[in-house]
Amino acid sequence: MSIRPFITIRELEEKLAKKEITREEILEFYLKRFEAFDETIGSALEVFDKESILEKTNQNGTELFGIPGLIKDNICQQDRIASCASKILENFVATYDATAIARLKEAGALLIGRANMDEFAMGSSTETSAFKKTHNPWDVSRVPGGSSGGSIAAVAAGLVPWALGSETGGSVNQPSALCGVVGLKPTYGLVSRYGLIAYGSSLDQIGIAARTVYDNARVLSVIAGKDNKDASMQQVGKKDYTQNLTGTLPKNLRIGVVTNALHAEGIDPEIVHAIQQAIKLFENNGATIKPLALPSLDYAAATYFIVSRAEAASNLARFDGVRYGLRNKKAQTLGKMYSETRHDGFGDEVRMRILVGNYVLSAGHAGQFYNNAKKVQRLIRHEFMRAFADVDVLVMPVHPAPAFKFGAFDDNKLQLDLQDYFTCAMNLAGITSLSLPCGASKEGLPIGFQIVGPALSEELLYQVGHAYQQETDWHTRTPAGY
Amino acid sequence: MSSIITREEVEKIARLSNIELSETEIISAQKHLGAVLSYAARVQDIAKDVDVAITKNSNIERDDVVIKTDPQTILAQAPEREGDFFVVPVIIENN
Repeated sequence: MSIRPFITIRELEEKLAKKEITREEILEFYLKRFEAFDETIGSALEVFDKESILEKTNQNGTELFGIPGLIKDNICQQDRIASCASKILENFVATYDATAIARLKEAGALLIGRANMDEFAMGSSTETSAFKKTHNPWDVSRVPGGSSGGSIAAVAAGLVPWALGSETGGSVNQPSALCGVVGLKPTYGLVSRYGLIAYGSSLDQIGIAARTVYDNARVLSVIAGKDNKDASMQQVGKKDYTQNLTGTLPKNLRIGVVTNALHAEGIDPEIVHAIQQAIKLFENNGATIKPLALPSLDYAAATYFIVSRAEAASNLARFDGVRYGLRNKKAQTLGKMYSETRHDGFGDEVRMRILVGNYVLSAGHAGQFYNNAKKVQRLIRHEFMRAFADVDVLVMPVHPAPAFKFGAFDDNKLQLDLQDYFTCAMNLAGITSLSLPCGASKEGLPIGFQIVGPALSEELLYQVGHAYQQETDWHTRTPAGY
Repeated sequence: MSSIITREEVEKIARLSNIELSETEIISAQKHLGAVLSYAARVQDIAKDVDVAITKNSNIERDDVVIKTDPQTILAQAPEREGDFFVVPVIIENN
């Protein structure tokens, strides 16, 4: 048996097909890596035992058969805890599989554990988890980004070849960029939300992290496609998203460069430089580059704050200590039990977002905040649609600076929230975006960029991203020591 | 310091949200909400000029088929139960 660290899904599947290795050997290899490195990284809230991992999946699967992945802890895996990294759900056991999980099990994938995350996916650094910190494998004094920081850090450290996260305002693509892996935020309605514990239902999508574009497409091929259990789904059937990976750009590809994003206030010049190199490469490979502006982008974060918090306040009203989860047992009356349980069970960030959400929805303030935000959301969507009439895809930054240190924004939480600046517009518009590594800072930290496309353009994004990875080696670089 | 949100409003929203807050938590919530809402208020600046029609979405409906779940798996997670019932503290207080 020979498995080298950071091996791709594609290579593992080839080895399995040639019977050079077994799925048991693969699983043991990755369980050992968790043992060796996860004390340092802190990516998983729980790693399951070997026997139950093997037993809970199809013994004769097809795609992703025998390939281990880590699952963000807001996606339900039957008979496993689904805590959302929150004390209120610390011991909550999922009673059914999310549709994405059911499809992965049917395919024969090995679901190795539960990934740490920002509590209820609310945060950009994974620091709001009630249980532990997750460290960026490139520099453990820095955050991995968030909210899917556990999932993405595990892929970056080679503890698993793929992981599922969730996206509400950039929670897969931002950490993917900060950790140097490939992240996908699918079109709203492409992956079923059934079994994904809700944060902002009109924005939430399960997303994917992997080391290469091919591997990312491999996972999407398993989980995407219509599901009767989610009424907001696009009516798209099952598809092989690796089919179109020719290694070259589509003929006459028109790429729009979002100038006001690339030159946003406060963006690190190293990020701008790295993205300009990527744009040059596309141009040299025959793409037409068109600079354009999306003025409403400057309002996306504000719009996102309002819409996401409003939906969070409504979704998180269900956690009341009555039927499951934490209960404050000292409270003498029902009302006190609710309010004490919700105080004790939710962390600071979640409590703040619920308060903001109920404020912007309350009589007297809904007009000023929520109704206006829904209007601006329409404008943002409209601007993207107009842009896609002229270009096929857009290129823009994912993050304003490389991964930051723990606690860097403790005194200015608003600046931390503004980490969503480059990503949340995609969730508001319901479109798709692929985040790819494209450089390194002077300190050796990963830099990413994103290719954004209209709804259901995942195949095109993958084709463009795969072509980019044939000509660059950023995705093959790995942090030292793992 | 004048804030976009008063202390009384924070207390009211916390009550509506069913979240108990301590004295220090009220003070920090007022500061945090003030910062977020002041920033978010910028949506007003352009909202008045937005002239984009609402796109109509329609839900996809499915046949209403009963999927059986064993109630015991759900009841097993009750913080407090009696037989097949969830137990809660008193709802109406006696004065």
